[in-house]
Amino acid sequence: MLDHCSISHKGGVILWSRSFTPAASQSAASSASPVSSLIRDALIEGRSAESQFEKDGYALKWTFVNDLELIFVVAYQRILQLTYVDDLLAALKTLFVKVFQPFLATFVASLHAASSSTTLLGASGSGSETAFAWDFTSTFEKWDTVFDNLLKTFETKAAQERKSRLKHIDPAVHTPVESTPPSDDQSTFPSQSNPTTVDEEQIARNVQALKNRLKPKGPGGAAGRKGRRGVGGAGSGLESVPGSDSDTPSKAKKSKTKARRKWGDEAPSESDMASLDFSYIQVDSPSTKQTTMSLSALVDQASMGTRTNEGMYEVKDWDFDVPPTRNVAAATAVEKPGTSLGALGSLFSRITGSKTLTQADLAPVLEGMKQHLMKKNVAKEIAEKVVESVGEDLIGRRITGWGGTNTAVRNALSTALTRILTPKTSTDLLLSIRTKLSESQSSMVGGQTGKKEPYSIVFVGVNGVGKSTNLSKVCFWLVQNGMRVLIAACDTFRSGAVEQLRVHVRNLSMLGVNGATDSKGRVELYEKGYGKDAAGIAKESISYAKDHDFDVVLIDTAGRMQDNEPLMRALAKLVSTNSPDKIIFVGEALVGNEAVDQLTKFDRALRDFSAASGYGGGSAKERGIDGMIVTKWDTVDDKVGAALSMTYVTGQPIIFVGCGQTYTDLRQLRVSNVVQAILDD
Amino acid sequence: MDGSHPSHEAPSIGQPTPEVVSAVSVMNSQYLLFGSLSLAVLILSLLFLARKKAQSRGNSLLLVGASDGGKTAILSTLLYKQTLPTHTSMQTNMANISLPPSNKALRIIDVPGHPRIRDQFREYMSDAKAVAFVVDASTISRNGAAVADHLHQVLHTLTSLPPSQVPPAFTIVAHKCDLLKASTNATSEQLAINRVRTILERELDKRKASHAGGVGMESLGAEGEEGAELGGLECSGNEFKFAEWEGGEVAFIGTSVAVGKAAVVDGEKRDGLSDFRDWLVELP
Repeated sequence: MLDHCSISHKGGVILWSRSFTPAASQSAASSASPVSSLIRDALIEGRSAESQFEKDGYALKWTFVNDLELIFVVAYQRILQLTYVDDLLAALKTLFVKVFQPFLATFVASLHAASSSTTLLGASGSGSETAFAWDFTSTFEKWDTVFDNLLKTFETKAAQERKSRLKHIDPAVHTPVESTPPSDDQSTFPSQSNPTTVDEEQIARNVQALKNRLKPKGPGGAAGRKGRRGVGGAGSGLESVPGSDSDTPSKAKKSKTKARRKWGDEAPSESDMASLDFSYIQVDSPSTKQTTMSLSALVDQASMGTRTNEGMYEVKDWDFDVPPTRNVAAATAVEKPGTSLGALGSLFSRITGSKTLTQADLAPVLEGMKQHLMKKNVAKEIAEKVVESVGEDLIGRRITGWGGTNTAVRNALSTALTRILTPKTSTDLLLSIRTKLSESQSSMVGGQTGKKEPYSIVFVGVNGVGKSTNLSKVCFWLVQNGMRVLIAACDTFRSGAVEQLRVHVRNLSMLGVNGATDSKGRVELYEKGYGKDAAGIAKESISYAKDHDFDVVLIDTAGRMQDNEPLMRALAKLVSTNSPDKIIFVGEALVGNEAVDQLTKFDRALRDFSAASGYGGGSAKERGIDGMIVTKWDTVDDKVGAALSMTYVTGQPIIFVGCGQTYTDLRQLRVSNVVQAILDD
Repeated sequence: MDGSHPSHEAPSIGQPTPEVVSAVSVMNSQYLLFGSLSLAVLILSLLFLARKKAQSRGNSLLLVGASDGGKTAILSTLLYKQTLPTHTSMQTNMANISLPPSNKALRIIDVPGHPRIRDQFREYMSDAKAVAFVVDASTISRNGAAVADHLHQVLHTLTSLPPSQVPPAFTIVAHKCDLLKASTNATSEQLAINRVRTILERELDKRKASHAGGVGMESLGAEGEEGAELGGLECSGNEFKFAEWEGGEVAFIGTSVAVGKAAVVDGEKRDGLSDFRDWLVELP
């Protein structure tokens, strides 16, 4: 049912991964892999606090281990409702860290080489570096079986739960009562006999039911089972591809494979459990790990024993608390001075402020940061998300130095803000205009017309934010750069809108350009009065610009509220008929919580309606907002949170900032400046 | 006697005072001498150290370039002697390696190429001995503009380094050569290098032309220091050519790695990264 699972380092190295379908294994190798897009589009964008990410029909869930900088990702078909994925991730995380702790610590240290001075951790890392053979494949070889077992356990459990939900007959009702509470017991006090008997009982019942159900599908299931063993081989495709067509057969088939496997594995795991039950391992493992570094031997035994017990134990505890990981990390930490030195160490670490951050440490600081952000006019929703993702990045991390939690959070917030505000696409408007012009010219060389395609920019936004004013500022800047600009008055609704633009055009053509006394003919207005169809006027204006050799067309639209559906439809029609090169959303810096609503609805409406309407020659491509202009910047002093809200919502850059009354009052945003303003008290 | 008494008294009184004074003054001057001497030595040594530090080039190789270029793969090949599968990096990797023949120590810094975090490379620039801009040769024709945008920033940073720092060696690595098909008269490395060079020169030339004579926009807040204008593309000729770039020499290297294959440890056999290793070894 899963499509892909990977365990990787934040630096980009994949430690272990497994694809269950050919399609997934194919895409995993390319740059378009779902994991890469998760990181590109969600984690780096500061959305790591969200619970799920969807891409290409996949749903992805993830979790971090911050002290070892690991990311665990599971991808599955979005249409499937897999309830066990969260639990699986938590169990994977605990188990993986537990089993490979020494190796991982060395690995992470090797990717954090300080220039010459070797810290405590670095010393152990570099010391073993020369002697350490980086044998990743053989190290993680054993993990395959561990993972198989773990996955199987969860799938069996999920199948059972579903079965009990589906069948409302007496025995089925009986099942959950009998099966779930024992697993609870098992997690809290792992006794020896209880788990095995319960397991056997469950399995027997499970197998019985599945055999009945799956009689006709016998051979297919067997083939699938074999394929599953191979690492993402072609055989596994046989199993999952047909399985994903409908829910019930796939589930049934899956459970069938589980049942079969249980039969095979039951005997060894039982005997292992007898010798290696949960409590025994808890006590023993740290010393074992410290003395022997031979991982492979450890993996083999520990995995089998801890698999079920540890998995379920984790599942129960994970939801409300982080401490499990912390306990495990502390118990198995080999080269961390703070834990091994005991009381003295903790005192020392308290003095120097070196400690592992926990949810409890962070909560008050993060709350304070959230309040601070909101004071700076960041929308509440955005402030929450940003702070949450900062917390997500910090939990479990060890902080050093004198600053303590506050400084750590502040620094993390600062990097997060920088990251969000830094544009991911080029904001160089002039360059893209020139590129388009030269391209259309060069492509026209052989053509008879020799007319170049003008670069069109549409300004959208709610009423009264300054669309026309800032359009004229942009126009002035373009004229200064030697462009010929046509302004299309597509606000055919508000009285005086056309006249306003006419005045701007008159002013602009009187202003000198580059020393020349006037710029007549460089800027013109294309107007068709009031009450007409805006999309039509825009279309005409573009063809007019093409005929009269204009470089840029600036299209002014009527302001509209984001909830007004007919008007939003009209706007989408304008966009899809003319397919402008840039759609610029104009928003005011004064806006608070409303910013989120405005932008999401404008973006959504443009995308939905432009994709649905299918004007523009059948190429019904989704068009969203390409960039933003934040106006009235001079009125908000340092409460510049709107900039953050806007960039966070759309992921698009702020191209310009309007900050005054004259044509020259247009600025480019500088990220460091805004971050500073937001963080300042 | 009476006269002699005071006369005797006077020196006896007068004697100690100058003695004390002189002792204090001697002590004082001695302390002062020592103090000033040691201070001078301290300042001199500090100056010397600072100068030495400023003069010395760093000891890091900076791997920069657009996302999915293969920077982390190169790092893992050099560090672990095997190519690990990778995905988009979220954070900078730093690793110490030693290059085979003379065991020269080198620190590799692999900066993520995601547009939102790639600017971190500026922090490491002061410590850079060499900068390698890694380009995916197989997708450069599609991503030319975006890659050039990043390269422009790197070139700008390289040219605006303080004069006290020895400018780091710069190379453009045409990575993933193995994805290009070698033709009869050119190996895939040469092909990749040519393609990367041509496309990047074209894109950078476009950027240069667009910035020439344009009226930039002021950026918000404190004016001056680093305005919106991005330089770094100065050439002796009119068009942008790497050969004529005023920031220094630009080397081109074709490389490739393959996931799952062990890298060559000794210098005898050649693999996809051999050229790059040679270049690193030859660095001063």
